[in-house]
Amino acid sequence: MAYQLYRNTTLGNSLQESLDELIQVLLQFDKAINNALAQRVRNRVNFRGSLNTYRFCDNVWTFVLNDVEFREVTELVKVDKVKIVACDGKNEMESIWTCLGETPLFSFLV
Amino acid sequence: MESSLERYFDQTVENDDHPTNDSHIFDPMIPYDSDLLIQESYYTPQLLQVHLSTELTSADLSFLSNDQEQQNDDEEGKDFTDQQQMIKHCQLLSVVKNSDGPENISHLPYQLTNQGIGTPIGNESSSICPVSMTPMTPVTPMTPVERSGIYPQLQNIVSTVNLACKLDLKRIALHARNAEYNPKRFAAVIMRIRAPRTTALIFSSGKMVCTGAKSEEQSRLAARKYARVVQKLGYPAKFLDFKVQNMVASCDVKFPIRLEGLVLTHQQFSSYEPELFPGLIYRMVKPRIVLLIFVSGKVVLTGYILQKEMSFLYLNSHLYDTVLDIAQVNIHNRTLMPEPFIKVWKKVGRSQNKRVGGRCAHEGKR
Repeated sequence: MAYQLYRNTTLGNSLQESLDELIQVLLQFDKAINNALAQRVRNRVNFRGSLNTYRFCDNVWTFVLNDVEFREVTELVKVDKVKIVACDGKNEMESIWTCLGETPLFSFLV
Repeated sequence: MESSLERYFDQTVENDDHPTNDSHIFDPMIPYDSDLLIQESYYTPQLLQVHLSTELTSADLSFLSNDQEQQNDDEEGKDFTDQQQMIKHCQLLSVVKNSDGPENISHLPYQLTNQGIGTPIGNESSSICPVSMTPMTPVTPMTPVERSGIYPQLQNIVSTVNLACKLDLKRIALHARNAEYNPKRFAAVIMRIRAPRTTALIFSSGKMVCTGAKSEEQSRLAARKYARVVQKLGYPAKFLDFKVQNMVASCDVKFPIRLEGLVLTHQQFSSYEPELFPGLIYRMVKPRIVLLIFVSGKVVLTGYILQKEMSFLYLNSHLYDTVLDIAQVNIHNRTLMPEPFIKVWKKVGRSQNKRVGGRCAHEGKR
């Protein structure tokens, strides 16, 4: 019932412009985080688990692992279920891992 | 509402693969009362008991509408009785094998020749006749070491089937589990399931290749499971023209083989280039099977003759016997054979050759 007709008014257009500025902020964030992960992250983590499922489509790997141990020199984290989404960097694969069933969010450069 | 068949199958598929998109349209089920028993057609080396596969092909997964399917199943039923006859022949073989004297054995294995299997070697036709054994003459062997000992084990079956509907591969790769799709590299979805452990290539035309199964029945079952996955994603998948394309088996004759000798005596069938490949490639004409024969005594057989796996294995066992005969020709000719091989040959067993000169250390090892 709410018509989108009134977007093309002075008020609506000003709002659209403000929102576009905010989207630019998001794009800037994307660039910055990609850069930071590529340049500033140097630590190495090993992980081992059993593969539940895998998928490769659009050059993106998606894995679901069970009973995974993340091992760094300093510490060890065990998790029941992990979903790994890996996109293709230029030469490196950049992975963002989310742990399902636990709160910590890890980002590592593989 | 699903039949027990459908539920069983869903369970097995879900253990492998949970498609996230659950919207699907089922064909009306044919109620299936009996328990679903998956029995692969085992092949026991003893030859005395052979499990013919249960009525899996005709009864299971009938929700996949398929008219030609039913016809194929009827044909399979008929062929099994032929196989039972072959089984009886071979049982006869094994029973009489232990009897004394070469003469009795000569005609036995070649009952199979009536079924259209010929020994492909011209000068081996004398193996049908009983032959006297003297040590130094290159004779055709009359008592092969172990006729019913080792049979080839199937290692890989490649089969194809037509699902008869166009598929959106990207959508399948996105929704199905254990799928890979890289259109830049290869224009098909590569999907795997855990039981039976197989890999399928699924093309956008709806055609599918299933590899990795260890028996024909398993290959068919696996192909059905892949078709099920596709069907669950909403496609009207059928199961047309399932056909086994190739079978690979391996076995071990348990003694070293002199490949140079083999290529000399059977040059029209063999090709052996040790600098290219260490195995001898023996192309048997009838039945059309290619054997890779290695010095160690391991043999790889590939090719696909008849529709039935059992026939394949029986024929292969016959081929094995033939190859054994071929190889034994080389062994009997001691001038060609180096010392160590002679020792091995003695150990493996020529206990049935009572007339052979020289010591026979002990009865042949079984």
